[in-house]
Amino acid sequence: MAKASSKSSRPRSPKRMTARNPANARRASAPAPQEATSNSRALVKAAGGMRVRMYRVGFGDFFLLSVPTKTGAGHILIDCGVHARDLGSIREAVTQMAEDCNKHLSLVIMTHRHADHISGFASCSDIFSQIAVDRVWMPWFEKPDDPKAAAFQASLTAMAGHLGQQFRARLAASHDDATEQMLQMAENITGGLGAAGIAANQKALNVLHGGFKTKVQPDYYKAGDTPKLPPDLEDAGLNAEILGPPMDDALITQMTNKNQQYLAGATGTEQDFGRSKPFADAYRGSHEDYNDKAFELYGPDQIIRMIRSAQPDVLAAQALAADKTLNNQSLVVLFSFGGKNLLFAGDAQWGNWENFLYGGAYGTPGHTELTEKARGILGKIDFYKVGHHGSANATPKDAVLAMRMGCVGMCSTQEHAYNEVPRAPLLDALRKRMNDQLARSDQVAAGTEEPAPDAGNVPTAFTAPKGGLFIDYNF
Amino acid sequence: MSNRSRFRCDETGGPGERSSKPDESPIDIFTSTEIPTPSIRPLNVYAFDPSLGNFVGNQMITRVSYEELEPGPVGDRFAVIDYDGGQRTFYKPVNLDDPRLLMTNGLPPSEGDPRFHQQMVYAVASETLQRFEYALGRRVRWRTRLGDNQPHAPKGASRRLNLFPHAMCEANAFYSPDAHGILFGYFKASQTNPGRNLPGQTVFTCLSHDIIVHETTHAIVDGIREYFMEPSNVDVAAFHEAFADLAALFLHFSHEEVLIDTLQKTGGKLFDFKLKGDFATAPGATPVLQSQLDTENPLIALATQFGEAAGRQCSLRSALTTPPTTEGAKDIATKTEPHERGSILVAAVFDAYFTVYGRRTFDLFRIYRAGGGSLEKSDLPSPLAGRLAAEASRTAEEFFTICARALDYCPPVDITFGDFLRALLTAHLDYSPDDRDHIRDALMQAFRLRGIYAEDANSFSEDALFWPKAPSGRLRVPGLVFGDPNGLTKEEKDRNGDVLRAYAAENAEMLGFDRHAGAIAAPSFHPMFHTGKDGKLYVTMVVELVQTMQIPFGTGIPGTFPMRNGVTLLIAQDPPDRDERPDPRIRFVIPKLYKPEREERIRSFYIASGRAAADSASDDNSRFRLNFALLHAGV
Repeated sequence: MAKASSKSSRPRSPKRMTARNPANARRASAPAPQEATSNSRALVKAAGGMRVRMYRVGFGDFFLLSVPTKTGAGHILIDCGVHARDLGSIREAVTQMAEDCNKHLSLVIMTHRHADHISGFASCSDIFSQIAVDRVWMPWFEKPDDPKAAAFQASLTAMAGHLGQQFRARLAASHDDATEQMLQMAENITGGLGAAGIAANQKALNVLHGGFKTKVQPDYYKAGDTPKLPPDLEDAGLNAEILGPPMDDALITQMTNKNQQYLAGATGTEQDFGRSKPFADAYRGSHEDYNDKAFELYGPDQIIRMIRSAQPDVLAAQALAADKTLNNQSLVVLFSFGGKNLLFAGDAQWGNWENFLYGGAYGTPGHTELTEKARGILGKIDFYKVGHHGSANATPKDAVLAMRMGCVGMCSTQEHAYNEVPRAPLLDALRKRMNDQLARSDQVAAGTEEPAPDAGNVPTAFTAPKGGLFIDYNF
Repeated sequence: MSNRSRFRCDETGGPGERSSKPDESPIDIFTSTEIPTPSIRPLNVYAFDPSLGNFVGNQMITRVSYEELEPGPVGDRFAVIDYDGGQRTFYKPVNLDDPRLLMTNGLPPSEGDPRFHQQMVYAVASETLQRFEYALGRRVRWRTRLGDNQPHAPKGASRRLNLFPHAMCEANAFYSPDAHGILFGYFKASQTNPGRNLPGQTVFTCLSHDIIVHETTHAIVDGIREYFMEPSNVDVAAFHEAFADLAALFLHFSHEEVLIDTLQKTGGKLFDFKLKGDFATAPGATPVLQSQLDTENPLIALATQFGEAAGRQCSLRSALTTPPTTEGAKDIATKTEPHERGSILVAAVFDAYFTVYGRRTFDLFRIYRAGGGSLEKSDLPSPLAGRLAAEASRTAEEFFTICARALDYCPPVDITFGDFLRALLTAHLDYSPDDRDHIRDALMQAFRLRGIYAEDANSFSEDALFWPKAPSGRLRVPGLVFGDPNGLTKEEKDRNGDVLRAYAAENAEMLGFDRHAGAIAAPSFHPMFHTGKDGKLYVTMVVELVQTMQIPFGTGIPGTFPMRNGVTLLIAQDPPDRDERPDPRIRFVIPKLYKPEREERIRSFYIASGRAAADSASDDNSRFRLNFALLHAGV
């Protein structure tokens, strides 16, 4: 570990939070030309004291943003979950977070309802029930009293449940890794079934909707909304802007219909589906009923092979599509504080980004160039939470190229959870943009897991305690 | 149009002359005792699908060109092979040359007999192919190679395509170049919301007229154009869906019985969504009899049974879903799902079609009203309905022909709706210079009202939208062989390939290529023969010239994508002048050339649609081809 914390103990108290690397912090905050006035120094000073902490829990997101306020640090929890490659460290991490924040979170943000972003709320519900929370933000899609949103989520969950059953049936017949991954993908949407038969994600959602020590009515946001900050953060001068998810009524209705149609047509598993005979047995024949001309081009065996291999795995495609749909519900938040801009993109994939980047569906008339606004925002960011654990489609190339040179990034990831995630070339491209200041959660140890050998060392701008578990970035 | 018969006593190449032993007796050249070979074979099919039952004209007889058939049916252009992938069995093939079936127009319509299914698939696919071949003025060939580096299909595959009527147990049907054929699925209707089907009833996609035409059209287009299936922009997949739907919809208007019935029930307004029941109820009253129910207008609805069985309330798609409003213009900027986006194009073409139909029948309605007739109350008198039907079907045929011919006027790669509009207008101008019913204007306005513009045209007027003509007589391609309407020999084809590649290499800059960016291939060239409105025979060749660059995705994404630049050439062979045949003359150069912005757009679109990430194991570029199986499954 390159810059492992020089202190022997973990930073227990938020009050001890200071800029550990002043030289670096100053360099990173080189004032933008238009701000090069006397107050830029004041801004830098104001931002100093802000910290982003990334916990290592496996394949999942767990971030804590701490902002200095008049009454000490105010804390924002952004997601808390792990799904694939669970390292068993999430309980330890949540316990410590609860201690560090004195059982008070000013704001909890759930970017989207994938298990790898919310499972911690269920598995550590006892701890969360002792934490006071001032505000909760969720994407628009979680709005319980909006019939469209509710129908959409219900159909998506039902579809994921059905797909899960299908993949389990396939695995029971014969095991293969690809199907295992598809099952993971489907169960990431439902959270899998718990002991009581309740989907684990539902349990986590229940906590988010009212399982904290204080009862909070969550706020539901979509791109363009003005979010309500808790008073302590607002007084401290924190600003937030919602950049995603985009929301198109017609599109949502259409997708809901599609899911429901799929479910209406889905009867039983593939296996028993194949058993129903379309015709009486008397019509059955063999290839010998044909003359030679029929098999002049392709023999009967080849025909059978061709028919089989021409059929794509629709279930797998369906699972991928559902996974993407849910990722695109991600709440994308831009925080600014003391002249610093931080972009948390959840797991937003192309469909979410394109609205922000191009102002509409890419490739349709008028939507092929970056918008002025997107260019402006990306050109001044200082911190980027890499989307979707570093997968290829989660940070569009145009976004990478528009990011300010010298910003820093954090990516929560774990190898061998999904195919080719994290995507090395993407991380390399980001690293170039970030002068190598891109931290990966698997660069530190957690639980019984050692740092991932290929992940490299924690970059110099970051700090991590000796025992691992998390990585900090101090402004 | 599909049932045009040839001469009464047509004997060309028919099988009748295959007498086993040579006749020894002296020839009487003035008498022939041979029985004329029939030019058509009548076959029973559903005009729509089984769910419409005995709805007027639903069980109809289609007439396809006569050919000798083996059990399957297996003929020259199609082989129906009935292997059921779900049940893992073959079904007994139908022998349409069985004398008993020749007497009865084949088997009667039946859902429970797979042999009728085979017959229907054969009949409708053949009918579709014949319509295209007639419109294009040439023989269509099937795709034989999947990509530049792929092996060729066995010899003869360009002639015959496979049809698998019960390939799988799935609510899907698709054309698959890998299987060199079309796979039709069957499935159980929705338990909860099956429409007119029984809950859980088995529904066969191969019994839907629309689905068969739709899939056959995909196969035809794929055979004509080498790179049309590369989804390099948001319009490509939508274009294919729209084009196939247009072919299926325009075919509805050749079903005379249905057409007349619809005309009577809509009072001549063919575009009404609902048909009044035979005993229509007064407004607000509740129907008590089935014949009082309004039904969906089958002419402008697609694949009704499939749609209902899958749990939708109505047909799969309808032709007029995108209205020409300012709201409609918004759709083109927001809708990206291929079927939704395609329906904008379908709606635009049908808007133009109904506009022209209105212009052509306006006088008939006036005459009818002048004689005291009312369109509000009574059914139309049958002679009027008959005249209207004739106009509707003539206009539909004309529109279908324009659409089919427009294929030849499209650039060879990266097609957009705007390109198709330009192709439609240019094709129409080329074939019918005088445009009395203002078809071109109707098309142009219908596209404009839905926000479909041509990218490089500098204004939205006919002149600006026509592809520019090449300078007359300046561009000539000596040595090109046109052959005759029956096709080219292998030698002639090889020669043409060499001539065209040499021409492209020599004139790369003039045609707009960068000669250092790679070799210019000539993936296809099709001679065409058709009679102009002036009665002259026109001999042309449509040629694709395509250059492929492999371009890296860059910025964090490994691998490359194929960037194709190309031109479509329309080359005319003029008649001999002073005893000398002039060199073939290029009339149009229809370009889609390299531009940095286009490269960027294709790159971003491939990334956006998830095609950048190759499965490192199988990097065979197949991800840059449309997969109709997934597209039609709606994933």
